Amino acid sequence: MKAYYHMIKRWDIIIIVLLVLISFLPFAIFSYQQTGLAKEGSELVAIITVDNEVIKEINLTGHEGTDIHEIVLDDGDYNTIEVKNEQIRVKAANCPDQVDVLTGFVSKPGQTIICLPHRLVVEIQTKSGETEEDIIVSS
Amino acid sequence: MMTKNQRLVYIALLASQAVVISLLERAIPFPFAFAPGAKLGLANIITCMALYTLSTKDAIKVVIIRLILAALLGGTISTFLYSASGAALSFIGMLLVKKLGPSRVSIIGVSTTGAVLHNVGQLCIASWIAQTWTVLLYLPVLSFIGILSGVAIGIVANYLLSHVEKLHYYRDLQELNQI
Repeated sequence: MKAYYHMIKRWDIIIIVLLVLISFLPFAIFSYQQTGLAKEGSELVAIITVDNEVIKEINLTGHEGTDIHEIVLDDGDYNTIEVKNEQIRVKAANCPDQVDVLTGFVSKPGQTIICLPHRLVVEIQTKSGETEEDIIVSS
Repeated sequence: MMTKNQRLVYIALLASQAVVISLLERAIPFPFAFAPGAKLGLANIITCMALYTLSTKDAIKVVIIRLILAALLGGTISTFLYSASGAALSFIGMLLVKKLGPSRVSIIGVSTTGAVLHNVGQLCIASWIAQTWTVLLYLPVLSFIGILSGVAIGIVANYLLSHVEKLHYYRDLQELNQI
């Protein structure tokens, strides 16, 4: 065991700590950004895009029961998307890596399900309620 | 001193080993159910060895040969794009970390940097293709595995490297004796 300690130098530990901090950086920026948006009355929407074009918007807040949305692309590729209560997941797909299916259910703002072979993205966004438009009048 | 032929063979050997390792790794069924898309990055061993035994120019050659061959032997354009961006970023990072000098940083720090920056590069490309930077929120999960495998690979490379250095030493001695 002592041999392992001998291998590690001081800068190794500094570097590893730095790398951990860097990997949480996008998370910190995102949650900072979201605190401004996430107010009372805001709703969660799942936005499904293929090739950057919005295919479907599904309201998640207040959703009950199970819905199945079938997304079929021109070349026969398909993704079956299941909305269960306030969660969304890709239930089945014919892409080679199945990363989107393995991701499972997502329900928090900013979470994404990505199927890169099909260029399909499911992203959960906060949609501010209509009350927020009134605030603009202040000036 | 390595002769030109020795160096060529050594580069080819390292590159082919890296290709075989990355092909083998692709055959392993996915081991982490909680992090889809994560990989061990075993081919990083070879990049570490190349960095520590060859000049920068030759180490770049090893990485490029590995990338092209691995893409030709069962990759697609998109996987090539991911691995190329990850490899480029991680190579630059490893080079910079190694510049700190052997008295400050060991091969463990170098390989961990490589593993994490590989993930960063891949996610950057993924977020560029998907046109949403929220993909980067996935980074902590990937870099957790990256750091663990980076430390393990650093220890392995440490052992391997001491043996390779000895082999060099013995080979040089043998050459001297033959003359």
